[in-house]
Amino acid sequence: MPSNFVINASHLTLSYGETEIIKDASFSVKKGEFVFITGPSGSGKSTLLKSLYGQIEPTDGSLIVGGLDMATISTGKLQDLRTHLGIIFQDYKLINEWTVAKNVILPLMIAGYSVDVQETQAERLLKHVKLATHKDRYPLELSGGEQQRVGVARALAKNPFLILADEPTGNLDEYSSNVIWDLMENACEQLNTTVLVVTHRIPSIFSNPYRHFIIEGKGIYEVH
Amino acid sequence: MKFIKNHLTFIFPMMAILLGVEFFLVFDRTTDSYEYGLKEGYSMFVVANKALELDDFKRLNKHISQREEIDKEALATQISKGVNQSNSKEILKALPYFYNIKLDSYLHSSALKNIQRNLEESDMIKRVETFGNSYTESYKLFSFIKFSLKSFIGFMALVSLLLIIKQMEIWKYAHKERMQVMEIFGASLMLRSGVLFRVAIIDAIISTFLTSGIFLGLKYQWAQESHIDILMQKQNLLFQSNDFLILLGISLLIVIVSVYLVVFGTRGSSQ
Repeated sequence: MPSNFVINASHLTLSYGETEIIKDASFSVKKGEFVFITGPSGSGKSTLLKSLYGQIEPTDGSLIVGGLDMATISTGKLQDLRTHLGIIFQDYKLINEWTVAKNVILPLMIAGYSVDVQETQAERLLKHVKLATHKDRYPLELSGGEQQRVGVARALAKNPFLILADEPTGNLDEYSSNVIWDLMENACEQLNTTVLVVTHRIPSIFSNPYRHFIIEGKGIYEVH
Repeated sequence: MKFIKNHLTFIFPMMAILLGVEFFLVFDRTTDSYEYGLKEGYSMFVVANKALELDDFKRLNKHISQREEIDKEALATQISKGVNQSNSKEILKALPYFYNIKLDSYLHSSALKNIQRNLEESDMIKRVETFGNSYTESYKLFSFIKFSLKSFIGFMALVSLLLIIKQMEIWKYAHKERMQVMEIFGASLMLRSGVLFRVAIIDAIISTFLTSGIFLGLKYQWAQESHIDILMQKQNLLFQSNDFLILLGISLLIVIVSVYLVVFGTRGSSQ
């Protein structure tokens, strides 16, 4: 596999118990690409995303993420891989008992960065997502759009090589959605971060050239 | 209210275990002196062909710790009352050597029989007499009390441990989302169970202080006013400074074991 591939799936099958969700799918994503994967509800978009951060093991075929085989990866290596990923969820998955700033620096805490670095990064990231004044608030005090911006800031905290986003604007109004798309586009263009978004439809305002895969009948196909 | 209830349901079972442990420590210490009394009150009477030193006895059995020679001359004098001096000397010469021997610890009756057999097998020894009956009765009663107490404390500890694990599962459920998010972002098992450790360690320390407080109260207040001889005499054995460290160590060990038992069950739960 050429080293500029961040994701390479070959004849990949994903299942829940006996039920196959994705079958014999092959695709790859290069470094710095912005990729959409679409499909109807229940088609297996979230399952595919979970397999990319190691929550589900491939049943068959191979799945390489960041050079690591997700079928045979050890717990330690998987933990290490996850610290180099930025993951954004539709339901934000923020820790409600923690302040906004503490939520943002979670990946840095896990990686063992010093408190000084954590504080500096929290300020920088919250400024970047225009929430600098909200750093001491708690997630439930914020609107949905603001919470998702916290989620994006958390995903960017450790300069990940890959951002995985699961319906990141699914619960947001148009204005908030556009802010989130801008932030992700900027990460891709300015930091050369690979971004993979699964969503039921591509937002109409998305103007940049991008790659688009569709999940249909358990297979994954590129749309040209 | 719910917060207090959540913590009490951890603190009470932990205290039950610690009270059991401390009660056992106190029982062990107070009965040590009783054991010593039994041991000291027990002796074997040995009749030997020749004079024997303590090392000679130790070579026959390592549990023999003291040898006390019975004065032959006094015996000879008693026997030879009214007999002339030369005959008295003959009697003294004909008499064997008499010893009382004592043991190093409080032993089971089978170990006593073994000592007796070892002594009797020796050519130097003519006869061994033991005063085993009352000793065996005391030993059996004492062993039964100890066994009953240990079983009761063990059973109570097991039930309490199950309650602690149950409470830990409730906490795990309460912090499930946080632990799942941390797992997704690559936190190790240790890091994501940190919240459980923190809560449980605080409660374990509170339990240790409360248990120590109860026994200190017994030692300095209740024991003095109880007018119960054994408690008043053995007051210093009721709670010792080392006990606090033992209780703290045990409570922290219980926390570690229960967190790991509960958290290992959550691997991959964030699917």
